Amino acid sequence: MRKSLLFLMSLLVIASMLLGACATTPAEEPAAPAEEPAAPAEEPAEPAEEPAPGKTVLNVWSFTNEIRTMAIAFEGKHPDVDVVYTMIPMTDGEYQTKLKSSLGTTDIPDVVALEAAFVKEWVEADFLANLNDLLPLTEELQTFPAVVQVGTHDGVAKGFSYQATPGAFFYRRSIATECLGTDDPAAVQAMVADLDKFVATAATIKECSGGDYFMVGTSAALFNPFLANRAQPWIVDDALVIDPMVEAYIDFAKVMRDEGYESQAQQWSEGWFAGMSDTLVDADGTPKKIFSYFLPTWGLPYVLIPNSGETGGDWAMIDGPLPYQWGGTWAGAMANSPNLDLATEFIAFVALDEENLTNWATGVYTNEYLAAIDPDVPEDQAQPPGDFVSSQVVVEKITSTFDGSALAEWLGGQNNYEAFGKAAPKVNGALLTGSDDAIQRALESVRDAYLNGEITEAEMWSQWLDSVRNEFPDLLIPDPPAAD
Amino acid sequence: MNHSSAKWNRHGYLFITPFILGFLVFGLYPVFNTLALSFTDTTIMSGEASFIGLKNFQRLFADDFFMKAVRNTWMIWILNFIPQIGIAMLLSIWYTSARLRIKAVGVWRAIFYLPNLLMPAAVARLFFSLFSFYGPVNQFAVQAGILSEAMHFLQDVTATRGLVVFIQWWMWFGQTIIIIMAGMTAIPIHLYEAAMVDGASGMQMFRRITLPLLKPILIFIFVTSLVGGMQMFDIPYMLTDGRGSPVYSIMTNNILMYSKFSSSKGHLGAASSVGVLNFIMTTLCALGIFYFLRDKE
Repeated sequence: MRKSLLFLMSLLVIASMLLGACATTPAEEPAAPAEEPAAPAEEPAEPAEEPAPGKTVLNVWSFTNEIRTMAIAFEGKHPDVDVVYTMIPMTDGEYQTKLKSSLGTTDIPDVVALEAAFVKEWVEADFLANLNDLLPLTEELQTFPAVVQVGTHDGVAKGFSYQATPGAFFYRRSIATECLGTDDPAAVQAMVADLDKFVATAATIKECSGGDYFMVGTSAALFNPFLANRAQPWIVDDALVIDPMVEAYIDFAKVMRDEGYESQAQQWSEGWFAGMSDTLVDADGTPKKIFSYFLPTWGLPYVLIPNSGETGGDWAMIDGPLPYQWGGTWAGAMANSPNLDLATEFIAFVALDEENLTNWATGVYTNEYLAAIDPDVPEDQAQPPGDFVSSQVVVEKITSTFDGSALAEWLGGQNNYEAFGKAAPKVNGALLTGSDDAIQRALESVRDAYLNGEITEAEMWSQWLDSVRNEFPDLLIPDPPAAD
Repeated sequence: MNHSSAKWNRHGYLFITPFILGFLVFGLYPVFNTLALSFTDTTIMSGEASFIGLKNFQRLFADDFFMKAVRNTWMIWILNFIPQIGIAMLLSIWYTSARLRIKAVGVWRAIFYLPNLLMPAAVARLFFSLFSFYGPVNQFAVQAGILSEAMHFLQDVTATRGLVVFIQWWMWFGQTIIIIMAGMTAIPIHLYEAAMVDGASGMQMFRRITLPLLKPILIFIFVTSLVGGMQMFDIPYMLTDGRGSPVYSIMTNNILMYSKFSSSKGHLGAASSVGVLNFIMTTLCALGIFYFLRDKE
């Protein structure tokens, strides 16, 4: 009896030593493993559902639960298909990390959702399947050119989106009336129609309020618009290109900061959200207001409205000084997927099916509708109306249904769908490259130090170029732009 | 007699084999793999890779960026380590002192250890919110008159470095206390009694009895802290924008390495070269510590 107990204990000790060897070297502070991308995941990935037996399984990975709605609708049309949907958040890059680490394994999904920040990376690489067969559908549905441009590389289309994400300029009507004399969208648009007028209007607003009203939350809000209006993308022929608009942006940001036209609240910080609901209070306790926000289609229902507190009805939207796009979700198929035909069909349904897009945008996919197809659907899974879809045909068809909608009321009577419909064709999607995100984040990182006066403009440029050179070893880096 | 001692040896080898195997596969193999990768231009997003010799290493020294990361890492670690050891030692002395007789030492130890149990990501985000421009610290400081106007803490080099140092210190000094106290309670009390009889002061007892007998523990703390410090990643990564903002002042070795393989094509070769140099630097320093603090007998 004693001997077998000792034997069991020895086995336990051996097992624990084996596990001890497998653990990373115990250091005083946790070590990030040298090879594998170690992204600290804040929320656990939702486990994939168990596939139903007897049906063809389609694995779809995404970073939100949006496409799950369409996945259920797809199952409704194809009862012999079971879509296994996995959602991995991308708050700190977990989704991108999981995707990259699945390459070369058998654990790859069939369909992947790709967000604007990293879609081009994947489209430019070789892991996505060629979807040129779906291009005729884009003609039929008059998909907005920017959407197709982003999903295409070297003439091969690898991703399509169900959304178009043109950006707009949302402003507070009450502040416009108080400081600019009118809140009429056409009149305000004339006052911000180009960058010079924009800065002049910023000065007016500051003067009128004695410095308590800020034109924008932060000049970072205009980074996207400036970038969208460059003549050249960041990388041409393996060399970094610093378009004049980039330098113009830095000068613009400096003016906005020095003159006090921005509240200095970083995007997505508490102060930035507080400005939306008029609860922004600076360190002294003085209430402050933010006149405008640069947000795209999804910004309205997902960011501005939920955080607007009591200010609903006091907003309006216009094109602003520069057309731009921000965000969006593309769907692509992995080239090594065993279900390529089904995956392609799924993507065609998600992004290029008139009925699906119409239902998606008009709010047909309520929770009841989805539960009728799949009783296990979570209670909060539904798509409210208003998402701006990528097909011009559908947009024109349903624009009038949004007159008098809750969103229109929130905008003081404006039909947001109509306004976005006018902005969408103007967006240029050809400037995006896979390296954009890293290059832009590197610039944002040093921009704030320059605006605070910690470093000179020359230092800012050279540090930024050092960073880009280090992250992109094969890129030709030009000389820094001349500082004024 | 010889026969039975041979049997004992065999059992010993059997016991350590699982650990050795595990270490070789999961610990040592990645080190060699990283070394191999550092001589190539492998990327995550493309299938081709070729041998490029020392080019990755040359590129690291082509500008000041890598050395900046090294300097930052050393600076943050040293600034965090000195108060950590100092305060942990001081508290340990008080807690083990027969003269002071502090009550509920276990409770104090637990309280100081608690920050170590927090998730670094949560702590970093918390401090990010606390010290933002419109956040509570600014509000309090301005209204209490400590600052004349709100300050961009996380865009000021000194303040951000200070925050990282503070968070690291706060999270780890509890563990250091526990280890030092464990070492101190192992020192036989009759040595102190003998010293007291001989008329030694507290300082003399500390320098002549405590410190020398604590040396193995101190070496352990020194080396493990060094290894961890050289690999510091989570707090500086999550506190600001993941690139060592402001102006790369909190960019550590591992943040540089991460940025090399997390952006665009994912340059594993370049990232591995940072890892290799970090490994060499840490090994040399750890060996140096062992050499200089060895028992000179």
